[in-house]
Amino acid sequence: MTDELWFKSADPHSSRRAWFWPIAITVALGAALASLALGAVNISTPDVISVLLARIGIGEASTQADAVVWGIRMPRVLLGLLVGATLGLVGAVLQGLLRNDLADPQLLGIGPGAAIGAAIGAVGGGVRGAIAGGVVAGVVTSFALRRLVRRNSIDPTRIILSGVALGAMLSAYVGFVVFGADRSVVPPIEFWLLGSLSGATWRSFGTAAVFLVVTTIGLLAAARNLDLIALGESEARHLGVDTDYVTTVTLIGCGAAVGVTVGVAGVVAFVGLLIPFLMRPIVGPKHRHLLVASMLAGGIFVVLADLLARSVLSPVEIPVGLITAVVGGPVFLWLLSRKDGHNV
Amino acid sequence: MSEPILVVNEVTFRVGGATLVNRVDLVGHPGEVIAILGPNGAGKTTLLRLVAGDLVPDAGTLTINEIDTRSAVPLELAKVRSVMRQGGASDIPFTALAVVEMGRHPHRSDEGASPESDRLAIRSAMNRTDTVHLADRVFATLSGGEQTRVIMARVFAQAAPLVLLDEPTTALDVAHQERVLKEMGQLAADRACVVAVLHDLNAAAFHADRIVLMDGGVVRSEGSPDEVLRADLLSDVYGQAMTVVEHPTRGCPLVLVSDGVE
Repeated sequence: MTDELWFKSADPHSSRRAWFWPIAITVALGAALASLALGAVNISTPDVISVLLARIGIGEASTQADAVVWGIRMPRVLLGLLVGATLGLVGAVLQGLLRNDLADPQLLGIGPGAAIGAAIGAVGGGVRGAIAGGVVAGVVTSFALRRLVRRNSIDPTRIILSGVALGAMLSAYVGFVVFGADRSVVPPIEFWLLGSLSGATWRSFGTAAVFLVVTTIGLLAAARNLDLIALGESEARHLGVDTDYVTTVTLIGCGAAVGVTVGVAGVVAFVGLLIPFLMRPIVGPKHRHLLVASMLAGGIFVVLADLLARSVLSPVEIPVGLITAVVGGPVFLWLLSRKDGHNV
Repeated sequence: MSEPILVVNEVTFRVGGATLVNRVDLVGHPGEVIAILGPNGAGKTTLLRLVAGDLVPDAGTLTINEIDTRSAVPLELAKVRSVMRQGGASDIPFTALAVVEMGRHPHRSDEGASPESDRLAIRSAMNRTDTVHLADRVFATLSGGEQTRVIMARVFAQAAPLVLLDEPTTALDVAHQERVLKEMGQLAADRACVVAVLHDLNAAAFHADRIVLMDGGVVRSEGSPDEVLRADLLSDVYGQAMTVVEHPTRGCPLVLVSDGVE
């Protein structure tokens, strides 16, 4: 066997990745299409497609179908993909950075912290104010977390316990802001703490997208450093990684990204925990693959969860975070019960 | 002698009220294997961590290839020294090959770096540590000794002129211990300077060119194995009666634990 072949043969996940990408992209498109078609008014798939084609100048579609598919559902689906992709990415990044499979931006308190800022921002400036407030508060919470992590870096379960306590406390503060503010301006408490895509508009999607493209590029760039950090923080430093710098920059990126998602969709729990956990056995532990796969799968998961949130108790719409928690909660418990929570 | 790679000058390190390393001097040249010996708590590992740049000395200076470890950025240091520490992570989810590949990280932007030169370094490192057959195994599922050898391969792949090893033979069986110790000599023959913290006095007696015997944070004795491995000195430093005889086949000192008064 030549050396080149030998090197290739030693990655047990390469064949799985080969079929994962096309399947995941197909499922993403299918989930998006289903979400555009299903809802209070069902629109047939051909009609959905004709709306989409009409939008790029091919043929014509009914005004009513266009208003529903393009005006209401499309921004919601895109926002769902964006929020899910971001949470999947941030979850995978945090798990790598903290060397802990239990890390999740919402469980660690970053989401609830961002929600305080987002709720305050919503008082002053609507969805853009909420995004700006979420980003600031998200970054601040990330750094509060960093201080906790530094002190507790030995015991992974303690980091999570600290995060859960931090999150519970910060969630309570969200309540103070919401109940203290004008209810006609600030979304209700369940929006912030359970998450919802019901407020999605082209405007909120556009603003979130601009922010998230920047943070996503930054976080994806950390992939190689995260691989090295898996060897241990000292080992990464011995191999030339400036771990302090990487930790700082990555936490700013995670805090900002989570802040944006909280500003537009509230705290959607467990996506960041569940998705990387599911992706790791398929695409392998290398972050170059894991981060992108987690984005794709996170997007699919939130779009489908939102579809369920709109449909299970129709015509009543439930917060999307209830669906993600129903699926993600048991996985979290199972991970907790495993010895040490090691990322094998 | 050639220019030294490592120059440790009057280095002191304190934690709280305790002085763990007290005014230590050490010079390492290419082609040398230096063993640091001493009882528990002598400051061996602390000294190694100071040299690695993990700890910042309270006084004194440390240079590797004339780079001051205090002001160097991590990538700069990674090109001149590799480190194998004690008690590293055992739960690494990557394959053994991926772990060894990471040893090449400091060289990814080097002039003349290529996938071929990386592969060559990785293959040779894995051959030398007897880990080729473990390439596609997940690191976390390997035995302690296999993990040690894979980490050793990663350190070899890094190809740094200064190699720091903290008890590299822990968890290895006798044959693999001997193999790793011989590889230290091989690294030295390739013009590296190897500094290893060892517990096994007899391993140091045969495989080290020079021994630094530490006790209570200071260097008690430094020199060739014949000079340092003396019964009176060892008995005093370790607080345990010892006898030194000549190794029947290797000709180096052989240290034996004995009873009675020193």
